[in-house]
Amino acid sequence: MFAPQLSLAPLTEEVTSTEEIVSPDLPWVTIVWNDPVNLMSYVTWVFETYFAYPRAKCEKLMMDVHHKGRAVVSNGPRESMERDVEALQGYGLWATFEKDR
Amino acid sequence: MARAFLRQKQHYVALLDATERAMVAGLMEQTRLILAPEVESTGDPFTDLVASMGVSLAIEDQVEGERQPDPDDKSSGEHDSDSSDFTDRDPALDRLLPTAHRGDDQVAAEFRRLTEEGLRQRKSGNLDVALRALEAAGTASGDRVVLDAEQAPAFLMALTDVRLLLGERMGMRTEEDAARLHDLMETIADDDPLGYALAWYDFLTWMQESLTHAVMGESPPEPSV
Repeated sequence: MFAPQLSLAPLTEEVTSTEEIVSPDLPWVTIVWNDPVNLMSYVTWVFETYFAYPRAKCEKLMMDVHHKGRAVVSNGPRESMERDVEALQGYGLWATFEKDR
Repeated sequence: MARAFLRQKQHYVALLDATERAMVAGLMEQTRLILAPEVESTGDPFTDLVASMGVSLAIEDQVEGERQPDPDDKSSGEHDSDSSDFTDRDPALDRLLPTAHRGDDQVAAEFRRLTEEGLRQRKSGNLDVALRALEAAGTASGDRVVLDAEQAPAFLMALTDVRLLLGERMGMRTEEDAARLHDLMETIADDDPLGYALAWYDFLTWMQESLTHAVMGESPPEPSV
């Protein structure tokens, strides 16, 4: 994400695991990937508007996307994840779904 | 001289002069051309849904006895037609409508088949809302671009898609690209189209940042953030 006046140091941290919000009986996840265009404030607003998560959770997810390169933003049955991905792509975020490993 | 979006009672108001409005509208129109759905929205959600699945409601198109493809039927051998959709695509389109599954092209193709037309319609609809808001602003109204609570999210999404397109055209695909492009601004010639594009990209960024903060009920960010 591009943040005005923010240092754009390259990301060096390698992502090896997804967030702990995933529960084992809900095997599909929606992932949002970092990109240089979407604004940090806008990504937070999208999470707040679409998921109705509390602001603090939205900001944490946004920071995970920004610093770790990606974040798991929802989990559940495949159909729900496809719906989330379609909605988030409508907002212009790079969202994908996959079976959680 | 432009002024960023501020909340004024129930509205969000920015000041953009005629040149700025024309430039932003021009970029939005280009984005809309690239995103244009095969079937333009009729305004009726059911008709749009059916149309986007390739089934016409028109009487003359209803061939007696012909079974329309079942959108839920995932078993039919459609891989040839779907895989061909991935070639000859404008790379900018892959940024505006990115793959939804990394690692399984078949799943991604199926998802694209089911969602792309709807996404194109919604994104085009957002751009239409934004373009109408820009058209409504005039010199007589003091160059005020006024958005209500329903127009503001559409305007934000429209700005995002324009910036995604512009970013892709400038080769801004990673954070490193963005940093490199902004470094380049220091030395780039005044008449270089890249410098011009980046200046407008930054203008749109500034507009979007202010509108996002306004709809979130926040003050504009501090310079140190």
